[in-house]
Amino acid sequence: MKISLDWIKDFVQLPDLTPQEMGVRFTLSTCEVEGVEETNAHMEQVTVAEIINVEPHPEADKLNLVSFKTGSGERRVVCGAPNVAPGMKVAFAPIGTTLPGGFTLVPKAIRGVMSEGMLCAEDELGLGDGHEGLLELPADAIVGMSLAEHMKLKRDVLLDVDNKSITHRPDLWGHYGMAREFAAAFGKPLARPFDEKWIEKMRKHYNSDAAPVSIDVQEGTACLGFLGLSVDNVTVKPSPLWMQQRLSACGMRPINNIVDISNYVMLEQGMPNHLFDRDTIRGNKIIVRENGEQSIFVTLDEMERKMIPSDTMVCDLDGPSSIGGIMGGLTSSVKASTTRIFIEVANWKPELVRRTSTRLGLRTDASQRYEKSLDSHQLERTVLRILELILDSCPEAVVVGPLVSDGLRLNPPLVIDLTLSRVNSILGTSLNEDEVIRLLESLEYSVTPAGGILKVTVPTYRATKDVEVDADLIEDIGRIYGYDRLVPVAPHNEITAISLSAAKILERKIQDFLVYRGRALEIYSYPLIGAKLLEQAGWDVMNENLVLANSLSPETDRMRPSLVPSLLEKAALNQKYHNKFRLFELGRSYLESEKDFSEDRHQLGIIYFDKQDSPFMEVLNLMGDLLDSLRLNAQIQPPNQKFPNPLIPALWTGKHPHEILDIRVMGKSCGFIGSIHPVMAKNFKIKGNLVMAVLDITDFMDRPIKDQTKYKPLAKFPGSTFDCTVVVETGVPVADVLSVLKKVKIKEIEDVRIADVYPLSEQQKTVTLRSWLLDREKTLSPEFLRSVEAQIVASLENAGYPLKQG
Amino acid sequence: MLQKLEEVKKEFDSGVGLVGSMPDMAQFKADFLGKKGKLNALMGGMRDLSVEEKKSFGARANEVKQEMTDAIDKRSQDIELEAINAKLAKNKLDISWTDKIKDLGQQAAGLHPLTQVTRELEDIFLSMGFDILDGPHIEDEYHNFEALNIPESHPARDMQDTFWFKDKKHLLRTHTSNIQIRGMEQKKPPFKFVGPGKVFRCETLDASHEAAFHQLEGMMVGKDIAVPHMIHFLRTLLSEIFKREIKVRLRPGFFPFVEPGFELDYECLLCGGKGCSVCKQVGWVEGLGCGMVHPNVLSGGGIDPNKWNGFAFGLGIDRLAMMRYHIDDVRHLHSGNLQFSEQFKTY
Repeated sequence: MKISLDWIKDFVQLPDLTPQEMGVRFTLSTCEVEGVEETNAHMEQVTVAEIINVEPHPEADKLNLVSFKTGSGERRVVCGAPNVAPGMKVAFAPIGTTLPGGFTLVPKAIRGVMSEGMLCAEDELGLGDGHEGLLELPADAIVGMSLAEHMKLKRDVLLDVDNKSITHRPDLWGHYGMAREFAAAFGKPLARPFDEKWIEKMRKHYNSDAAPVSIDVQEGTACLGFLGLSVDNVTVKPSPLWMQQRLSACGMRPINNIVDISNYVMLEQGMPNHLFDRDTIRGNKIIVRENGEQSIFVTLDEMERKMIPSDTMVCDLDGPSSIGGIMGGLTSSVKASTTRIFIEVANWKPELVRRTSTRLGLRTDASQRYEKSLDSHQLERTVLRILELILDSCPEAVVVGPLVSDGLRLNPPLVIDLTLSRVNSILGTSLNEDEVIRLLESLEYSVTPAGGILKVTVPTYRATKDVEVDADLIEDIGRIYGYDRLVPVAPHNEITAISLSAAKILERKIQDFLVYRGRALEIYSYPLIGAKLLEQAGWDVMNENLVLANSLSPETDRMRPSLVPSLLEKAALNQKYHNKFRLFELGRSYLESEKDFSEDRHQLGIIYFDKQDSPFMEVLNLMGDLLDSLRLNAQIQPPNQKFPNPLIPALWTGKHPHEILDIRVMGKSCGFIGSIHPVMAKNFKIKGNLVMAVLDITDFMDRPIKDQTKYKPLAKFPGSTFDCTVVVETGVPVADVLSVLKKVKIKEIEDVRIADVYPLSEQQKTVTLRSWLLDREKTLSPEFLRSVEAQIVASLENAGYPLKQG
Repeated sequence: MLQKLEEVKKEFDSGVGLVGSMPDMAQFKADFLGKKGKLNALMGGMRDLSVEEKKSFGARANEVKQEMTDAIDKRSQDIELEAINAKLAKNKLDISWTDKIKDLGQQAAGLHPLTQVTRELEDIFLSMGFDILDGPHIEDEYHNFEALNIPESHPARDMQDTFWFKDKKHLLRTHTSNIQIRGMEQKKPPFKFVGPGKVFRCETLDASHEAAFHQLEGMMVGKDIAVPHMIHFLRTLLSEIFKREIKVRLRPGFFPFVEPGFELDYECLLCGGKGCSVCKQVGWVEGLGCGMVHPNVLSGGGIDPNKWNGFAFGLGIDRLAMMRYHIDDVRHLHSGNLQFSEQFKTY
């Protein structure tokens, strides 16, 4: 919202500060000023001139040499405007003037003739859109007078206030409310032109004529009060320049005196209103009621709006004429021929206005004010201010009948108990009672001390929602006192031992492991995905219940049920640039839940990609080490039909026929390691070997990692190793061969491993097994060693793995 | 005799250095020191000498023998070393051929910049005695709005363009402030905790706007906590984050869950308050939102606002990371593009 300091000065005398300083001070005391803009400075330099002579430019057909009279002698410029004529009064900008476009006039020759400034068109002065020719001033304009003086334009400073920073302040949506803040912030008196005395005086315009329009506010509507006043004999014409100027400065287009007054009063009093052409009110009756049906209503902006039965509409006997608190219709507005008007000033329930305006996607100057909870006490004041300005503009206008009103609901008075000690303990100040009272009174609170308690009566315009409890008062005291006067102090602190949560420790361990052991880069991918990606990834869980009502695009319309589709997408992206890469994400996926609506799942996703060789074993070994390092009771094993892995769809087409393993932690499937099927890779235009692992840590992340180290004293006696090489068929997994040795029950066998595998032929390979033998009590005897070796060989041969001969 | 001994010695001295291999050395050693060697042959002639001559010859002969033995040992070691060095020279490794210059594909490893900044923040808070909490991304209306003093009709709901699910009761959390409520439900005062995490706003994406970004919300509840405590704490925090003394200022700011509510600005680090393009010429940079916890929020969390009070604050993690690394486009953060991630590599 734009605040005109010129307008503010109607109500409070501002200190002599630069516009920038003003912006900073107001930001510190009240609300965020996002920008400061100075207007009309150029109008003090531009003066009225009278054209004496026009002759063609010797070098150019379309240009003229124009001589004219100014306050300081004769000048000549080169001018291309078609409407120049001797005797015409025009606006002259001398060398050195900076015009609204931001450029400063410098001495300049145009086609060889020096120009001593510029004669201006309307748009060049920032006065309007006209660029047809020079702005023609009235014949009685005084030569040499500044345009500012001639047009009664004032230099102004506009503060651009961030609307978000006044969301909670219904009273700051008009200049008078802002002026109140300036007065408090600078400790200056506030003028009260709209006080009770003024109201009494203005009420004398009401009369006992029959009211031409009656009002009926029905129960259950959004209305909090509807006031109306009829005025006859108005003349629709342009409003005075000063008013146009203020409206333009605040971003509103001047239209005619009636519409302009309506807007002006909204910008001043903060209360929206509507001025009807009274002849359009069918049946001379206004009914505020619920719409009652599904219907289409055409608003002022000529858009069709879909209304529902519970919307509150302002109607006449023919039907709706405006949407309550939001926007009027096409028919009721004032036209050039209008002479009889009806002033409507109403208040509406914020939540209902908000609901309808949000549904329609229609936020107007009115609705954004009503949403903030306006004060019904201000309705009559607003009617009277409109009347005052209409009478200024059309002295011949007359009021017909009394003020009519229905459905008026006033918010009850609000008194808050405040103690001095609470103020000082929260702000860390040592204010005395008088200071606190003075600060509160500067914002129009009235304060009555009552036995150690301050009874603070909140002004009605702040009591609608903004101010509720003593903390609100303390905020007002603090900001007017000045936050910069608070002295920072260290808080007292209890001594408590704090450590990272188990989940955080686990997450950090995983990330560090992937970086230092996995040599991988961490990525973040989007938790929102679309149906298309899920389909591309062959995913059958579509998360239909976790689809957003207001997504930004179909590609990000729902929560992802798994990291897998995102990982595939990121693999596809990165394989364009790299022949080989490793990446991981520790992110979340989301599952539908009958009980809690949804469940956030914390998952680790890993991708290893290699254009040439499959990194499957690399990932498998990595995951083995990771699970060990997390001290998890985990197994990596082939998928089991009886216990389908919940992390991948049962018939997932991304699954490799052989290179796929389940990760089970404490007996529960919570991950997998798999090569991506080439057909799936092709879906994503991935050319190469893609291996993926996913580990869902949700079920165990909150359990601290236990150190399971069990120390054994070092062996005092030497051990011995025994190698034997057996012949097995090529297709036999080496782990099967080793498992035979693992089953040999001899306690002196400390460990068994595969030492070597060597292909013999296409059908056969040799496997060399190494056993470590150790007795912790004594040196192993040669006889014992021979008997163990014999048992090892026998068990291998019994299992069908004969010793290699020779 | 003695002269002959010196001649043998001379012959030895000129020969030992020329021996080039261990077998040659064995031969050479036998020639001089062996049973049938030249030294022994001379010793055999000792019996023809007088007692006096025997004495002086014997002494010298032992000396010579010792010198020869030492010289042979020394030369043998040299031969061995030469042999090893020759072998090493033959199998010379190209030590310039490091992984760094091989084409091994993408080799960098490291944490995402947001993980790095978040960890740093967590560690600072941990050092100041704050617990680190978290909460769900998918929230109900109560935890995201109502419990935070933002009822349905409150226009503040518009300040945060909310992603709603179709049931219109659940949503993606618009701030990490939901962690405040979950923290209060878990803990008894006094307490202090922070909650870093991902939040969502229905905003059209561009270089500086993201629909998914990261915040850190914090809360400290205790007895007699005042605004100056909060200022002191936040100033310390920012000084710790930026690793230098920071000047701060408070101004009014509106967040429904705090009252009084503030925006805390810090003096621009680039221009020191004089005004520059980073601080839009005002000398101050918007730092974080903060305030004294609203009594309604405390009551909602089961805490008696007459006994306890405290402050809460929130800051944007993405913006911190972007400022630190001069990241030009916020959309890179969720891009999953390794060309982005690798710039923040650990090694």
